[in-house]
Amino acid sequence: MNGTVVKNQLVFDFASGLLGPAKSLFASTYLQLNSNASRISSTFENLLGENLMDNENIHPKNLKYTDCIKGENSKSALNTEDPVTRYFGNLNNLNWKQVYKGFKEYTASIDDKDELKLIKMDPGVSVPLHSHGGKEFILVLEGSFCDEYGEYSKGDIQINDQKIKHTPIASRDTGCVCLSITEKDVIFFGKYGSFLNLFTFIKSFFKSK
Amino acid sequence: MEKSHSNNLMSKIQKHRDEMAFSEIFDYFAPKVNAYFIQNSIKFESSEELTQEVLSTVWAKSDLYNSEKSALSTWIFTIARNKKIDFFRKNSKIDFKEEDIREFLYQDREVDLIKENEAKKQIERINDELDEQQKIMIKMNFFENKSHKKIADELEIPLGTVKSKIRLILTRMQKFLR
Repeated sequence: MNGTVVKNQLVFDFASGLLGPAKSLFASTYLQLNSNASRISSTFENLLGENLMDNENIHPKNLKYTDCIKGENSKSALNTEDPVTRYFGNLNNLNWKQVYKGFKEYTASIDDKDELKLIKMDPGVSVPLHSHGGKEFILVLEGSFCDEYGEYSKGDIQINDQKIKHTPIASRDTGCVCLSITEKDVIFFGKYGSFLNLFTFIKSFFKSK
Repeated sequence: MEKSHSNNLMSKIQKHRDEMAFSEIFDYFAPKVNAYFIQNSIKFESSEELTQEVLSTVWAKSDLYNSEKSALSTWIFTIARNKKIDFFRKNSKIDFKEEDIREFLYQDREVDLIKENEAKKQIERINDELDEQQKIMIKMNFFENKSHKKIADELEIPLGTVKSKIRLILTRMQKFLR
């Protein structure tokens, strides 16, 4: 599956408001760190704004403009915390779980079908050759790592699925901290895999009613 | 609504809390926002409440709007979308609000946001490249959040065609945005 399509899908779904909490936090961090993704999202929001502009009119029955002018002009204080800090706080104070020497992780307790994790690798540490159960997205927050497919630095996303076997190694100078999403739902592969996955996701999104 | 006119109205609201200017924004956008919620399978009663929340935000947080950063329609769309997300989360009892995160992105991305004048050209380019059916599909899929199956049924075309056409849009987007 084409990585670009998967990444665009993530950005479009975020702009459309289709993502669950875990993926949404992941995507917002991606937009914050990656200016290309941020521009794609911005353009797509403009396109959806155009859709709103050209949308049909369904008039509210019991709503007048006077119902909407009760609030004061409140310039809310500028949010200066990025999404990761807002959710996890200071990463140094987290109760990291050591998986093996030089490799730690912290799993977020978000109520969602996708699992959101932080991963910390010490400089030069490698992960033994492995493949993946479900689809996994890895976003580099600090430092960098490389594997057989290339090097990934701050703001880069790597997408792994069952077909990928790799041996990631953290940079010898900086190590790395990454945010990861593992999809726990049934994962479809093949030509239309990403759309089937999207479909399953949308279904689960509306199922709750 | 012309851009110069909507800018003028917003600036009157920001500077003078001009209620007549707001009533014009309300008359124009409230029915479109209400339709957006209904298109997203939200029942009329709730759609009206959400529309009230959106327009109240436009009034109360008017200072956050910057006409150089985005078109008014984009700003109002993002507010409506955020209300929709919170509405669905609340109904599925997911305790995770993130409007503040999206606000952070909106404020902080100043450098990376596509400037209004540039955005207009880009949208025109995209609209030139896409055929009518693809434009409708973008609206149905990403604005109204309809499944591919539903899109296929409504447009009376095979499901496979919907999937491949939307995939093509995703691939070609990259080219438009360079």
